Order: sequence, then structure tokens, then C-alpha cells
Amino acid sequence: MTPPDSSDSRSLSRSLADWRVTPPRDPHFRTAVWSRLEAARRPSSWPAFARAHRPALTGALAAALVIGAWAGRERARARVDHERDGIARAYVQSLDARVMQLP
Amino acid sequence: MKNFWATLLVLVTAAGLSFGAFYVLNDAPAVRQAAHDGDAMAWLRAEFHLDDAHFDRIRRLHDDYAVVCTRHCRAIMLARQRHAPPEEIAALERVCVEAMTDHFRRVAALMPAGQGDRYLAIVLPRVADYDHRGTPNIQGQP
Repeated sequence: MTPPDSSDSRSLSRSLADWRVTPPRDPHFRTAVWSRLEAARRPSSWPAFARAHRPALTGALAAALVIGAWAGRERARARVDHERDGIARAYVQSLDARVMQLP
Repeated sequence: MKNFWATLLVLVTAAGLSFGAFYVLNDAPAVRQAAHDGDAMAWLRAEFHLDDAHFDRIRRLHDDYAVVCTRHCRAIMLARQRHAPPEEIAALERVCVEAMTDHFRRVAALMPAGQGDRYLAIVLPRVADYDHRGTPNIQGQP
């Protein structure tokens, strides 16, 4: 590890000593800070919450719709398939002379 | 916390509505009703979208086949009662299966375009797949 050059170090110290921050004056700064503190303290409404979390909420809503649609489709098809299987089996058996019984 | 529960409620409601809509869209109430009633002819009508003309022709074909089926049934029963050789009973059963599959193909030919193939795809595997569980009548009720 090389030791810092003493001339560079002095130059940096001088630059830092001369550095002055002069932010533009904002007459509403204090008011804005207090209003944000107040807003954070009281509970926000759900629409405001939704607007604040719009991307996450949109994703969650899309996921809920897709999951609901998929589950509804699968449930209906499974139920119809089950009923269809039973009646189709009975239909075929009703025409099968091997299992018919005559009076 | 209140917002969390409100969000959850919105998501669950959206999923429920989506579920209901897609359930209704994919349901076949007429098919389920026919199956529930054990009415095979009503099932054929609903399942394969038969209009009156198609349905009447297919019903007549079924009525005609019932006579053939009864004849096969009697022959098989008599052979079993007199303890005929297994080869003879097997031959009679083969005739029965051939007549049955031929009947299914003729029914399929009377169906609207596209439905016949679907009908055969449903019924033919069940001929071979038969598991000897009962003696149903023509209404499909065991």
C-alpha cells in the first residue's frame, strides 16, 4: 500500500476547507416538512394507498384475476368431465349385449 | 393495517369474480343435467349439439339397434345357460362388439360435421374399457 502524497493531501484539505454549499432558499421548506410529517402520522385513505403502490397493486390484481380464471375453468371442466364420463360409460353399457339381462 | 385488509379484500373479490365468470363460461349445464338424470339420449342431444332432425334420426337408429342388441343378448344368454364352449361364447361376444362399434359409427355418420369424430372418441374407448359393473337400461341407468 502506497502512502498518500502529502501535496495531494494538502490540496484536498484546502479544497474541502474552501467548499461552501449555498442551497437556494425555499420559503416553503419548513411547511412542506411539517405537512409530510402530518401525512405520515394520520392513516391515508385506500385510494391514496393504491395510488402510492400502483405497480405492485396492478400486478397483484392481474395475478388474482388470472388465478381466479384458471381455477374457475379447471373446476368447471373437471366437473363436466366427471359427469360426462359417467353418462358415456352408462350409454355404452346400455348398448352392450354382453351385459344386458332379458326378462 | 387497514389498507392491507382492504387490499386483500379487493384481490379476493377480483379472484372470486374471475373464478365465477370462467366457471360459467366452461360449464355445460345441459350435459350435467342429462348425466344427473341418467338420460343418455338427452346427453347425446346436449353433448353433440343435435338439432331435432339429427336427434330424431339418431333415436330411430338406436331403436332399430335395440332389436339387434336384444337378439345378441338372447344368443349370449342361451349359450351361457347351456354351458356352451368358451370359444362359442367368445365368438358371440365378438359379434356383439362388432355390431356395437358398427352402430356407433353409423350414429357418428348422422351427427353434424365435427361432432361424429368427437362422439367416436368418447364412446369407442369405453367399449374396450368396459369393467362389467352393472346391467344398465337404455336410459343409461344401471
